[in-house]
Amino acid sequence: MATGGGAYSYSLTVFSPSGKLVQIEHALAAVSQGTTSLATNGIVIATEKKTSSLLIDDSMIERVAVVCPNIGIVYSGMGPDFRILVTKARKSAQAYWKVHGEYPPTKVLTQEIANIMQQATQSGGVRPYGVSLLVAGWDINRGPTLYQVDPSGSFWAWKASAIGKNMVNAKTFLEKRYNDDISLEDAIHTALLTLKEGFEGQMTEKTIEIGVVTVPSPAELEVGKVEGTGRFKATFRKLTEEEVRDYLSL
Amino acid sequence: MSIMDYNGGSVIAMVGKDCVAIASDLRLGVQSLSIASDFQKIFPVTDRIFVGLPGLATDVTTLHEQFRYRVNMYTIKEEREIEPEAFTALVSSTLYEKRFGPYFIEPVIAGMQKLPNGGYAPFIAGTDVIGCINFAKDLIVAGTASEKLFGVAEGLWEPDLEADDLFETISQSLLNAVDRDAYSGWGAIVHVITKDKVVTRTLKGRMD
Amino acid sequence: MDVSFAITGKGYVILAADTTAAHSILKVKLDEDKIKELSPHLAMAYSGEPGDTVQFAEYVERNIRLYQIRNLYPLRPASAASWIRRSLADSLRSRKPYSVNLLLGGYDTNTHTPHLYWMDYLGTLTEVPFGAHGYGSYFALSLLDRYHDPEAPLEEGLAVLRRCIDEVAKRLIVAQPKYKVKVIDKDGVREIEF
Repeated sequence: MATGGGAYSYSLTVFSPSGKLVQIEHALAAVSQGTTSLATNGIVIATEKKTSSLLIDDSMIERVAVVCPNIGIVYSGMGPDFRILVTKARKSAQAYWKVHGEYPPTKVLTQEIANIMQQATQSGGVRPYGVSLLVAGWDINRGPTLYQVDPSGSFWAWKASAIGKNMVNAKTFLEKRYNDDISLEDAIHTALLTLKEGFEGQMTEKTIEIGVVTVPSPAELEVGKVEGTGRFKATFRKLTEEEVRDYLSL
Repeated sequence: MSIMDYNGGSVIAMVGKDCVAIASDLRLGVQSLSIASDFQKIFPVTDRIFVGLPGLATDVTTLHEQFRYRVNMYTIKEEREIEPEAFTALVSSTLYEKRFGPYFIEPVIAGMQKLPNGGYAPFIAGTDVIGCINFAKDLIVAGTASEKLFGVAEGLWEPDLEADDLFETISQSLLNAVDRDAYSGWGAIVHVITKDKVVTRTLKGRMD
Repeated sequence: MDVSFAITGKGYVILAADTTAAHSILKVKLDEDKIKELSPHLAMAYSGEPGDTVQFAEYVERNIRLYQIRNLYPLRPASAASWIRRSLADSLRSRKPYSVNLLLGGYDTNTHTPHLYWMDYLGTLTEVPFGAHGYGSYFALSLLDRYHDPEAPLEEGLAVLRRCIDEVAKRLIVAQPKYKVKVIDKDGVREIEF
């Protein structure tokens, strides 16, 4: 038996006498060591991307991922595990599109991801995913929404939240700054300010990533599908480095 | 003798002004022998969507059960009613699943679709046996009397018919088309769908 | 060459099927029972490919029985019909489909109503006031269109059945010598000497 975990850490499927699944708690510990990610008003997701060496090409690192034209996710925890989940989430979104002719509502996609993460807590020969996710998206029936998914597979909705190393401070900060109806521009600034709390080193367009959900106007909804493409206008997008730089300099 | 004509039966759908209508005959036969005069081929999907399933009778029942199952799962998972466009995509993918051993049904979908501004717009669509979708602006026909239906309906239909006029148009189109088809007839049923109600009428037809 | 008829009336269903087991042009048995009693208030007349018929009827019988053992009450006629239909529809698209046509008669003890279902080997299912399979259907259906009465007492129902059997005997070149007749009503399934 390995050290540290005690007698009940050898198998995922065994409860400790106190009713805990310790491997899942360890996964949560891995998340809390990860870099901070946050989201506010269900429309902005932001994260810091740190590199361990100056020599690493940070243009390759992607911590905010687009899953489908209306949904994006950000993570805290283990990068490789996140990549697997992004791949599965994208496949799930495409499978949904093939059956229903439209992309999934945010809640449905979140549920799919949560199911995948839950299965890893009950299957043999695997470990839980070492990530927590923030899933942000827009859909016609619920509007802009934000969900958090944990390694256990539990998920719930937030108005604004943070995950990762600095989550306690960031959440306290968001609680103070949050209000129900602010503009997208203000929300981006709130996100940047929150991220700035406890940010180690210089905050530049190279060291953070931002994704935004834009709520379509009634006029845009009226138009429907973009002429010639057969698709609706994307409602989730990542800000380019130029855009991030502009926001930072304001 | 095509398997599509084995049991007989026809369906038609039409667009009107703020309404749609879908109608079918009620015959079930085995080639030229009639078995039943109350065989439903049109089924409700939601309060505002109906699907007509003309073709091989065993597949009418199988597909109806299949669609009911999938729509129920959708409603539970998504916590909302399915919209006509998504249902049409569901019909299409269900049929294409059996691309190399198809269900012998050419579905017709009619419903009122919700608009972003809260209003409703008429929607009709049809597919072939492997799920190729045909979004039509005016009317859809399918079944053993489809050629005759095309002829009569194209002659009678005009844009922006009110619900009552649409009922008359679709009823006359169906009744007169199935009278020229040996495999369709034995009574008919018509559903007229508007944004807040559905009017269903059973029609008497020639019983020969 | 199987011939089977079924008629509903006031509170009952009559099932009738010939009793001939044929091999090519030979009659090998003259008292074959082609009506299976599935549960206290449910019976099924079957016809079609020899071998498939008995095999499928027994498969249905045992599954209906299993349902009753598991749930302590029998499947109602509509549900039984739906289950049997699904079995045939699945079989149709399998490697070796059953070729069995059925007339399923039952008495619903909850609603106190008789039910008759017409089903073929494709899995086509419909509820009918009267039905028939085989060459007999060409004679019987038109006769029943004229003489069937859903409110007729049992004696009248049996008289109409007699007309059908006589007509087949008169006009079909391969007349069936003997029929087994079963009635399903509030008292369950019973055979009637005919």
